[in-house]
Order: sequence, then structure tokens, then C-alpha cells
Amino acid sequence: MALFSNNSTEQGPVAVADRSLSPFEDLLNLIAALAILLLMLLGSAQIFLRSALNAPIAGYIDLVELSMASMAFLGAAYCQRLGGHIRMEMLVSKLRGRWLWGFETITTLIALFIIGVLIWYGWGHFVRSYELGDSTIDAEFPVWPSKLLVPIAFSFWFLRLLVQLAGAVRLLINPDQQPIGIAKILDVSEQAQEEIHEAFGDDATSDADREDAK
Amino acid sequence: MIIGIGFSNPLLVGLIGLGFLIFLVVIGVRVVFAAAMVGLFGLIELLGWGPAAGIVGTIPHSKSSTYALSVLPMFIFIGFIAFHAGMTEQLFNAARKWVGWVPGGLAVATVFATAGFAAVSGASTATAAVFSRVAIPEMLKNGYDKKLAAGVVAAGGTLATLIPPSAILIIYAIIVEESVGQLLLAGFLPGAVSALVYAAIIIVWAKRHPKAAPSVSGFSWTERFQSLPGISPIVIVVLIIMSAIYNGWATPTEAGALGALVIFVLALARGTTLGTMKGALMEAAKLTVMIFSLIWGVLIFVRFLGFSGLPEAFTAWILSLDASPMMIMICILLAYAVLGMFMDAIGMLLLTLPVVYPAVIALGFDSIWFGIIVVKMAEVCLITPPIGLNCFVVNAVRPDIDLTTVFRGIALFFIADVITIGLLLAFPEIVTWLPSLMK
Repeated sequence: MALFSNNSTEQGPVAVADRSLSPFEDLLNLIAALAILLLMLLGSAQIFLRSALNAPIAGYIDLVELSMASMAFLGAAYCQRLGGHIRMEMLVSKLRGRWLWGFETITTLIALFIIGVLIWYGWGHFVRSYELGDSTIDAEFPVWPSKLLVPIAFSFWFLRLLVQLAGAVRLLINPDQQPIGIAKILDVSEQAQEEIHEAFGDDATSDADREDAK
Repeated sequence: MIIGIGFSNPLLVGLIGLGFLIFLVVIGVRVVFAAAMVGLFGLIELLGWGPAAGIVGTIPHSKSSTYALSVLPMFIFIGFIAFHAGMTEQLFNAARKWVGWVPGGLAVATVFATAGFAAVSGASTATAAVFSRVAIPEMLKNGYDKKLAAGVVAAGGTLATLIPPSAILIIYAIIVEESVGQLLLAGFLPGAVSALVYAAIIIVWAKRHPKAAPSVSGFSWTERFQSLPGISPIVIVVLIIMSAIYNGWATPTEAGALGALVIFVLALARGTTLGTMKGALMEAAKLTVMIFSLIWGVLIFVRFLGFSGLPEAFTAWILSLDASPMMIMICILLAYAVLGMFMDAIGMLLLTLPVVYPAVIALGFDSIWFGIIVVKMAEVCLITPPIGLNCFVVNAVRPDIDLTTVFRGIALFFIADVITIGLLLAFPEIVTWLPSLMK
């Protein structure tokens, strides 16, 4: 992973926490990815059933709306690990050493606070819905499973932020250590490199490689 | 209540909140956290803990679980499949055979190929990256000027955000509560106009510098028609999406789903591996969660702004100005041009629209038209210094073309973009005509 400075042989607690969380994050993002695939099939099936057989899927809109939570939230921690959530990097990409890790510590604390609040009240939102037996208007599907995804996904997000906080504090104390468990801060040219990786996959780094391969 | 002015002076709380949000974003807090945090504290100040937390706790789920937003993952997925399935080469190849004979033919072909790719992808930088690899070697081999070759690829990438399916236009529609379908349709003509203006300016330049941009000819009609099957998946997806939205035989989500299914099956049939597909899906999921997080984060902030009354106050102030609406519009656009130099387009739109949009509407401008023009502005910023990301992308794929050369190559296309924006200001019908025909 280019974005993720993880040394797989590293033994410290941050590295271990980092490695143990990653598979769960991958799994949650994979579930979100499968939900996208299912939505693709569902939407296509709806067109076919409605126009060809005149028998649209009952509760189709309710089903789509309930499934949105899986796509909207489950990948949050995965995205955080890979540094995918948008930020303005103009200032932080100029910082080095303790200044950088000091800023990272503060910004991560802010993130932890707000996600913590949202887990708490997201959980309350779910409990109310569960106890009242909330259901969708049209097809009367229960709503609580979809609402439960918010505190679950955000809890993993919170854990990932904790790892990043530990990673930043560790480097704040001693900036000379090998960076572990933090999302790299990229300046604009490094960001461009990442875009290229995303477009071409890991096989390609520059055109020279490709011409060699021919 | 935190500082205790919430009840007596909500407007001041709104202003402080806005200032604090800008501060947090500048020091590098991710936009979703900054917006949600300021929104939460602002609401607490205005309404007290209980009601504020009640509102904030429900927003992520309730705002994400809407049918209108379900179109986003579909369009994002289509874009990622199209990348991984190598459809760019075929597009460029076809465009080269069909328009290579005009002056600056390969550069013109690049413009049309990027426009075609934009029709399945909403990602500007990625389009620039892919075409840096496909089109630049071909142009350099034919003796094209490096500046032109690099510039046309960086600029061509920006077409992706106007030509449907465009993620950023969908986000605009959600934030200002406009019809997603109308906005998608509205982007089509301005995107085409942008491409044509690019092509025209290349031809004019190539006529004056024929050695630096030679035409390539000698393709037979047979060869031309043989190049068409290669681009058929893209044509099919475009036809499905446009006709569904235009004629209303499917919702944007359903059209996106069918488009994704078609391109998914065709890509598999042409030998794209399941592993590659999984990669495309994982990336689509990651981009989806990023966009959704941004949306609910900003909506928490927007709820706070609504309670503070700041948008109304800003609108009243704008209306009280002694200047013509067009003058004010130009000032707003210039402000966006400056802001866009430092911020990502999606983040910039989400943070500014809640305040700016009501004022623009009060001035009598059309909301769909404004969406298109503001997105076009944000795109221009992707090719202008200091952080014209597309230029960096071209330089990163082709380290032999240095950054200064890319930025110099962009100059021509910057002029083209100014012309396009001028056209959109002078003839708003370019934007509003197509959506007005929608059934």
C-alpha cells in the first residue's frame, strides 16, 4: 500500500494494532463494495421487471434506501486508513518533524471527538428505532438494521483514528522513529503520483516501465 | 449554550462558526470532521445540548439513506470499470482515425477521446493520468510540440466533470435540492461546447504552427468504421443514461445500474479479470464513502447555518448592493477562481454553496445554470497554478516533460476556458435548453 506507511515486520503496539485492524476494515469495505454490486443488479432487474413484465419489485425504493447505509458508512475506516477523506494539505504538507506531528495530533483529536459523539447518538438513534419497531413507509421493512450500521462503522473508524493518534503522538515524542500507523501527508506532486496509482494499479509507475515491457 | 450569545445574536454565532470552520479546514482537519464539529458546537450554542445532539445524531443516517443519492455509487463504479478495462486506448485510436486529418489532428483527437471517456467517468485527474499515457507518446512521435501535447491532456481531463455522469453535479443537486436528472442533462451541452472550443483553439494554433502540430491522414473509411466496435461499450452506456434521464423510462439510479451492468459484462467478456473487477469495486466503495461522509458532515454544518440565519443575512446584504446582478455574479466567480486554487472542487462547493446559493437565486439566476458554471470554474482551477492537480498528474506520468512546460502548455486551454465561460454567461440557453426539454 503506497499510502500507508506500514512496516509489516514492526513489533511495537502501534504496529500490532494497525495490522490487526486492517483485515476488519478491508472486510467492511468489501461488504460496501458488494452492496454496490447488488444495487447494480437490483436497479437493472427493476428496469427489466417493470418494463418487460410489468411487475416491478415491491418495496424497491425502500430497499435501496435501507441499503444506502452500507455503502455510505462501512468503508469509512478503510478510507481513513488510506487517507481518502478530503482535507486541505497546503499547510500540513509544508510542516516537518514535531510541528507536523503536533498538528496531526490535534486534528486527530478533533476527529476522535466528533466521531465519538456520533457513535453515542447514532447508537441512541438505533435503539429508539429498535424499541419502537420503526419500519419503512411503503414496504414496512424494519429500519433498525440499517441504523445499526452507523455505530458499528463509526466504531471501527474511531479505532482507526486511535491508531493514527497513537502513531502521531509516538512521532511527536521522537520524530526520528520510523512512521507507523499514520496516513501519509502528501504534497500536490505526491498526490498526483497517488492518482496515477489509482488509475493504473500498482503495476505501473512510469511510462519507461511500460515501454520496457513491450 | 457555551459562550452564551446563542439566543440573543444567532447571526454572530453563525459568523464565528463559519470563521472557525475555515480555520479548522486550513490547519488540515479533514473536511467531514471540521464541518460536523463546528455544526455540533454551533447547534449547541443556538439550541442547547439536548436538541443539538438529537439533530446531529440523526443526520448521518437520515441524509445518506435517500434514493436520490443512490445514483452516486453507480456512476462511480462505471468510471472505475472503464479505467481498468482499457477503453481509453480504443477511444483515442478511433478519434485519431476520424479527426486526425484536421490541423493539430492528434491533439484534437485527444480532446474528443477525453470527452468520450468523460462520458463514462466523472474523475478529472484520473482521465488526465490515463491519457498522458495513451495520447502523449503518439503526439510526440509525430513531432508535436511538448507544451501542446501535455496541455491538451491536462485540459481534456477537466471535461469529465461536466459531461454526465458527473459526481460533482450530483452533489450540487443534492445540496441545493435540485433534480439530479436535470443537472446531469444540463452538463452535456456545456461539456460539448468546452470540447469544441478546445478543438477550435487547437486548430487555430496548429494553422499558425503547422510543424509543431501536424495532421495525420491516410486512414481509409474501412479503418475508420473498424475502430468503432472498440468504443461501443462507452456509446451504449451513454445512450442508456442519456435516454433514460431524457425520456424518463428509468430513474438516474436505475439507468446507472443498467449502464454499470452493461459495461461490467462487456469488460468481463473482453478479458478483464475478476481480480481487477474487485479492485475497481473496492475503489468505488472507498470513493463512495468519502463523498457520503463529506455530504453528511457538511449537512450538519448547513443545519447549524440555517438556525443562525446567516444565509438569509448574506442574501439581504447581496441584494442591498448597488451593482448589477451580472457584476455580482462575475465577482462571485472570481472569488471561486481564487478559492479553487487552494481547495478541492467538491470540498469548495460543499462549504460555500449553503451561503452563496440562496443569494445567487435571489439575484434571479437559474439554479441549474449556476451549478454548471460553478463546476466549470472549479475545473479551470484544476489546470491553473499553484496547485493545478491535472498538470502535476501529467508531469508525474511523463517525468520527461517538466512542470513549467505543462503549465505553459495550459495557457492555450485557459484562454479556451475563459471563452467557454464567457459563452455560458452570454448564452445561458446552452445550459438550460436541454433540461427544459426533459419529459
